[in-house]
Amino acid sequence: MSFIKKAKTNTIEEPVKKISWKEVKRQKVLLIWSAVIVVYGLIFCYFPLAGWLMAFQNYKPKDGLLHSTFIGLAKFQQLFSDVTFLKVLRNTLAMGVINLVSTFVMAILFAILLNEIKSKGGKKTVQTISYLPHFLSWIIVTGILHDALSASGIVNELLIKFHILEQPLNFFAHPQYFWAIVAFANVWKETGWNAIIYLAAITAIDPSLYEAAAIDGAGRWAKIKYVTMPGIKPTIMILLLMNVGNVLNAGFEIQYLLGNGLVQSVSQTIDIYVLKWGISQGDYSIGTAAGIFKSLVSIILIVIANQIAKHNGEERLF
Amino acid sequence: MKKKALVSLLMTATLAFSMLTGCGNSADSSESASTDKATEEKSDGGEKADGEIKEFTAFFATPGTEINDDNEIQQIIAEKTGAKVKETWLTGQTDKEAVGTLIASGEYPDFIEGGSGTPQLIDAGALVPLDDYLDSYPNIKALFTEEEWNKIRQEDGKIYFIPQFSTIKGEEKVCTHNDEAFWIQTRVLKWAGYPKVETMDEYFQLIEDYNEANPTMEDGTTNIPYTILCEDWRYFCLENAPQFLDGYPNDGSVIVDPDTLKVIDYNTTPTAKRYFGKLNEEYHKGIVDPESFTQTYDEYIAKLSTGRVLGMIDQWWDFAYNVNDSLKQQGLDLQGCNYVPLPITIEKGMKNQWHNSGGVLNVSSGLAVTTSCDDVEGALQFVNDLLDQDIHNLRFWGVEGVDYEVLDNGEFYRREDQRMTAADTAYKAAHLCTYSYFPQYNGTSDDGINANKPDGQANEFYDGLNSEVQECFEAYGAQTYVDMIGTSEAPGSWYPMWSYSNTLTTNTAGGTAWIKMGEIKHEYLPKVVMADNFDAAWTEYMDVYAGCNPQDFLDEMQTELDRRMEEAAKFN
Repeated sequence: MSFIKKAKTNTIEEPVKKISWKEVKRQKVLLIWSAVIVVYGLIFCYFPLAGWLMAFQNYKPKDGLLHSTFIGLAKFQQLFSDVTFLKVLRNTLAMGVINLVSTFVMAILFAILLNEIKSKGGKKTVQTISYLPHFLSWIIVTGILHDALSASGIVNELLIKFHILEQPLNFFAHPQYFWAIVAFANVWKETGWNAIIYLAAITAIDPSLYEAAAIDGAGRWAKIKYVTMPGIKPTIMILLLMNVGNVLNAGFEIQYLLGNGLVQSVSQTIDIYVLKWGISQGDYSIGTAAGIFKSLVSIILIVIANQIAKHNGEERLF
Repeated sequence: MKKKALVSLLMTATLAFSMLTGCGNSADSSESASTDKATEEKSDGGEKADGEIKEFTAFFATPGTEINDDNEIQQIIAEKTGAKVKETWLTGQTDKEAVGTLIASGEYPDFIEGGSGTPQLIDAGALVPLDDYLDSYPNIKALFTEEEWNKIRQEDGKIYFIPQFSTIKGEEKVCTHNDEAFWIQTRVLKWAGYPKVETMDEYFQLIEDYNEANPTMEDGTTNIPYTILCEDWRYFCLENAPQFLDGYPNDGSVIVDPDTLKVIDYNTTPTAKRYFGKLNEEYHKGIVDPESFTQTYDEYIAKLSTGRVLGMIDQWWDFAYNVNDSLKQQGLDLQGCNYVPLPITIEKGMKNQWHNSGGVLNVSSGLAVTTSCDDVEGALQFVNDLLDQDIHNLRFWGVEGVDYEVLDNGEFYRREDQRMTAADTAYKAAHLCTYSYFPQYNGTSDDGINANKPDGQANEFYDGLNSEVQECFEAYGAQTYVDMIGTSEAPGSWYPMWSYSNTLTTNTAGGTAWIKMGEIKHEYLPKVVMADNFDAAWTEYMDVYAGCNPQDFLDEMQTELDRRMEEAAKFN
């Protein structure tokens, strides 16, 4: 109830249309439903944030959140003076950006190409097959990768057959291949799934635009360039903005499952760092500090990207 | 129109967003699912099934095999003791990760073995101090002497866990070498006419020669001459051989000079350089499996189970239970694919200490009861009952007349078909229940005749060996695995130092150094072995290694060594 009142008082000063009781009554059902969502958000998204306190404490599970000693920013200092963390940060950013660019570009390309297929059955089949890998869990995907890229796996056998390699190459033993393998796995797994949104956006484009373009003498290429691309541009922008915020979520499972001692200097991400120092070594404070840092960077990235979009007059989140 | 576009845009955005968050959260949700499961099981704990039988839950932070819910021997034990335990094991995580997750959730199973995560559990106040209870449970109390119990006490003077594997009852009966060694398949030794192999160079020479003469197995599969397991904590198979090669026992994290009582870092000794140099040489000759450093434990076990691998360093308990059964089922044991240990040192004529007699008291972890357990007395009573001789026989020998037979003089033995079923995975899951991570005895049974476990029963052990291993033992004048490499007394009352380094955390400088050293070694030891220029790689490794202040670690180990010697002096 107070929530509604507050909304009412807030709007009074504004010259916008007054919200009358009548209006509130009329939207009663909608308001109740929104209240449920707000409560849900408070309980599951905002309340757990109290745990952030851990980052400023020398947290001991025995003492709990209330009785652990506060140590200010010491854990953050420790974090940034740790060479491993800086390396981990670099890996996360690098893999995040590579993944973002590769999956993004591939999904759009795939959607556009798929849209050009005239046979309805063929299109459906390709689409269905292409998004199936999305439903595989990473443990299975990494299992497949491990087998395919092993010394006796299909990749090495083909490379040797075509005389590109003489000896089988152990892909997982060389740090320089790791990011590429991760990017490839992401593209393979997510391209079909991500393309669904773009395909939906393409379907929403008014067919009369294509007809008009055809009358103006546009070929396939020109139609893609002047109708399809501008048509899905808002979708692209929104998804790009949201994905930018996700850059630091470069992944956990795949790096964790594919990593080994030899490539650990390029394979570990912030999430693995949190697991290793926060959970395994029992230093929950430093794990939380790393987590907070990650969230802050994500928010900053989103805001910057949003401002750029706003500045250029593109679609934006807020 | 514009409004409509906006709405559809928002819809797409929400859809996309829910997808993204869906992906991002998958790790969390699987975790919470598993904790949910744990709590579910927990709540079952209070119920009394079948009117009488209490059900407890247990989590062991080590990989293991779950047995069937209707396991027969578990049911028999439940009827006799009035309790049963649903055991779960580590899968796909390290022990510390699993324990850290449990602590974060605050919900524990009734019993826990935390492995190297035990200090965290104690630190989090998750374990019940057992001091006040011990006197009421004679079997548990009798597991250790007062001096030994004292060693298990934590800094606050309390006992939180019961080491399971350290008790020898009566006369020691050991046939297997349950520890680390250079292992080799009997077919290699047989081919070479059972030569004397004493040094690392001879060992690799033998493997090279054999592999050149016999590049494949009988069915045409190519051999893998030598493989190295180095996944996560199991990288000891690569890492700690230098201490043994110099003739020291498994202190695990340092060498202790028995004369001066000073700790020595085995990572930097000339022997370490020679050992890794040898591996480097063999790697470039194609003898060391190129997949060594990227294989997982499961892949490694699968590899050994095919019988392709001629030799490796490992701990017996780390491979033998899985691999030997599998070799037996496939009949590969008769092709000489079983492994026997060799007494390898860096130079000829040195005394080796791969095997130590006497129980090694692991003071760093054991079976503990958690604060989530509602019935501590009942739980400890069950542990106590499991140590009764007849229950103990049920656990490790099975049911008389089904799993083993008794001779007129009271000696237990198994028929060949009984040995075969005892190696069958499905049978083990349905029938056998060893409660393998609960306290147990080695040595001799109360009847004074039988060993507490079949693998300690000399006759049963020898009859159970396949003809290839028997022939090999005969050629070396050995009766058991232990005879192959000889044995020596535990070196001193500090032994083993690894039980201390296992408890180190980042709270101290030495602990931080120890963890960093581990990280460096995980990365650089494989690099050094694979390097084209070994000397340059070794120098680089040594530089980076020195950068994580190993001296801090060594100082703390020295302090602990001194403390242990002082403690021991009180009891002499």
